[in-house]
Amino acid sequence: METLLNPSKSTLKLSIPKTHIFKSSLLHSTFNPQPRTLFHRRTLSITITCKVKTSQGRTNDGKNISKKILLTDTAPELSNEEVKVKPKNGGGALGLVRRLPRRILAVLSNLPLAIGEMFAVAGLMALGTAIDQGEAPDYYFQKYPEENPVLGFFTWRWVLTLGLDHMFSSPIFLGTLVLLGLSLMACTYTTQIPLVKVARRWSFLQTADAIKKQEFSDSLPRASIKDLGVILMGSGYEVFLKGPSLYAFKGLAGRFAPIGVHLAMLLIMAGGTLSATGSFKGSVTVPQGLNFVVGDVLGPTGFLSTPSEAFNTEVHVNRFYMDYYDSGEVSQFHTDLSLLDMNGKEVMRKTLSVNDPLRYGGFTIYQTDWSFSALQIIKDGEGPFNLAMAPLKLNGDKKLFGTFLPIGDTNSPNVKGISMLARDLQSIILYDQQGKFFGVRRPNSKLPIEIDGTKIVIVDAIGSTGLDLKIDPGVPIVYAGFGALMLTTCISYLSHSQIWALQDGTTVFVGGKTNRAKADFPDDMNRLLDRVPELVESFKSKQTDGIGG
Amino acid sequence: MIFSTLEHIFTHISFSVVSIVITVHFLTLLVDEVVGLDDSSEKGMVVNFFCITGLLVTRWIYSGHFPLSDLYESLIFLSWGFSLIHMVSYFKRRKYNLSSITAPSAIFTQGFATSGLLTKMQQSAILAPALQSQWLMMHVSMMVLGYAALLCGSLLSVALLVITFRKVITIIGKNNNQSFSFGEIFYMNERSNVLLNAYFLSSKNYYRYQLTQQLDRWSYRIISLGFIFLTIGILSGAVWANEAWGSYWNWDPKETWAFITWTIFAIYLHTRTNTNLEGVHSAIVASMGFLIIWICYFGVNLLGIGLHSYGSFTLTSN
Repeated sequence: METLLNPSKSTLKLSIPKTHIFKSSLLHSTFNPQPRTLFHRRTLSITITCKVKTSQGRTNDGKNISKKILLTDTAPELSNEEVKVKPKNGGGALGLVRRLPRRILAVLSNLPLAIGEMFAVAGLMALGTAIDQGEAPDYYFQKYPEENPVLGFFTWRWVLTLGLDHMFSSPIFLGTLVLLGLSLMACTYTTQIPLVKVARRWSFLQTADAIKKQEFSDSLPRASIKDLGVILMGSGYEVFLKGPSLYAFKGLAGRFAPIGVHLAMLLIMAGGTLSATGSFKGSVTVPQGLNFVVGDVLGPTGFLSTPSEAFNTEVHVNRFYMDYYDSGEVSQFHTDLSLLDMNGKEVMRKTLSVNDPLRYGGFTIYQTDWSFSALQIIKDGEGPFNLAMAPLKLNGDKKLFGTFLPIGDTNSPNVKGISMLARDLQSIILYDQQGKFFGVRRPNSKLPIEIDGTKIVIVDAIGSTGLDLKIDPGVPIVYAGFGALMLTTCISYLSHSQIWALQDGTTVFVGGKTNRAKADFPDDMNRLLDRVPELVESFKSKQTDGIGG
Repeated sequence: MIFSTLEHIFTHISFSVVSIVITVHFLTLLVDEVVGLDDSSEKGMVVNFFCITGLLVTRWIYSGHFPLSDLYESLIFLSWGFSLIHMVSYFKRRKYNLSSITAPSAIFTQGFATSGLLTKMQQSAILAPALQSQWLMMHVSMMVLGYAALLCGSLLSVALLVITFRKVITIIGKNNNQSFSFGEIFYMNERSNVLLNAYFLSSKNYYRYQLTQQLDRWSYRIISLGFIFLTIGILSGAVWANEAWGSYWNWDPKETWAFITWTIFAIYLHTRTNTNLEGVHSAIVASMGFLIIWICYFGVNLLGIGLHSYGSFTLTSN
């Protein structure tokens, strides 16, 4: 059996059956797959499987009930075991210390605990979306007053003491995540890796009874185990033959992949931790034509954040502009940036937009926001003047900017003038001294507009770009984890199927089980077994049949 | 113009076809063994599938972007996902009553999309700057396919729960009768030659057991598939967020709820590894997942909060 563990040898053995079939069909049996008899056998086999399943089902039902009682007893059982173990070790503090890690491991790898932790994480996250995050304490005083607690007990005290106002960085949430991470590690170590050893240790079943006990079982009269082996190989099984016994498996990766899933989760968690502790972040709004230094904008997020040389890079905003749809709505924002090193030499130039950030020297610049900086106008042929635009507060997402051009005596207390409003850089709406709508002008159109005797040309609309800057050392690790997680989750879909068969005379007993595709498995098996050719016996083999069966 | 006409034609054909399919389903429930009817309902689903596909393709061509930018389109896509699952099981020639889950799901989502929402929402909107990315196709299609598969799987689990609890009630009600038939089944097992007819008649409970087992196994399989889609969807969304918003995880409400959904179905998959928790326990978790998907898919959009506000809508019609 141990020699068979070597795959090369097993394939060697497999080459034998093919010749065997050839010989046997020539010598004393006609190789004759008969559809009608096959069909007949199939109906028979169905009744057999039905039978077996019923007994199984009923016994399973019984088991379920007894196990349900056991379930609540699992934890005490575990401690009992440890009580037994202690005296064996001779007791003492040393034994306890030696035992402690294993005990912690056992507790952590407990499945109900892990499930509880996942529920806790899910519940806390749900709570985090239900309670508005990151507001000032006053907000919570009003929303969750002590006089009228939500659900009878939930007040602002709960929110502020437990840190539910910043749930996703609160000790409770992070603590639960850490616990979940520990459980992941413990489970991988104590349950999953030993499972690999068990799964790799393939064994032959030597008795028909053992085969009949499998989830799926069937018997093929007048069949050869070698034919079965060849057919199983044809449908992707790894087949091992030894004498009258056969072992075949498929989709072993599906059994190992959950380990990969767990490791990928750990990788993502590690990457996330690094992101949280070692990042720099910052955002800046820069008018077109101005500069800023990267290091001035970025601020550290954690104790692992260390500045790099790229912090000295100076960024110059060459141009900020928007694209519009025909309907006038903004379709995209663009910022043309130049990166200058310490000597003022341009090291990179790129036009970034939303979904297309700039990456240089470890930091990333994102286009996230915009603003209206100034309006350049010519008044009565003089200028150009720059009028600063002020953001006007509106409820809703839409932005509105406005400016005011005084006309006449600017020193008088109630100065009058022209108001200009803009939703975007595309068109400016002008209002006259009485506040009535006067007209709309586009920048760059060079078309003068005369309001109350003042001729105005709008030369240009100068926007400022809102940029987010970030240095995140965790991203490569997190991305590696993402890749691994996607891959291993997909592989986990594979079902690990195992098939045992035993030649008993001319009858072949087949049994098998699978861990995931349990609904498909019997059908697939029946389809495979239907293809096993039936040996029509000559009288010589009938004799052996009589002896065998 | 021609596109919107085409779109209307497709919408109406698919909606009426699914309505007919549902009627046929109820008919087959009442009248057993009407083979022709059953077959026609399958054909109806095929027609429906192609209609929705046509609808999506038309929308894609005339709007110029992948038809998944707002709630209406994602609902149609969800409906398409249901029909796709139906198609896959149809072409694999497996009749495990999956169509009685997928067909009503398809009609409800489509009915909601076409009649429940304002007609204004059905107009293809322009794409916000953040949505203009190749990731839109990957992220949203994976998410919606994941929702479709998970909804199907968890509905199977709900069906299992319904059947199981009805069984429990009948066991309490007719205890004697039940134990008699158990004994009969065991007796039947002893015999090597089984008279099939007698077997069928006497073991209704056995078939109910087999049905719940099938439901259990199929819901596990479909939820696993949906879990893969959901995982890929969330992760591609994270990668996209790192391109567009500046961080791969922002604890945005939609993100958080997607993660909650993911966690719940991860719990489901873990309950499956333990034989004690299989069956009813895991079905309860899956039914919780069913509710949570709807919160994630709809509830968050209803509030219109966070960065994922593209799919938001208001219930007031002015």
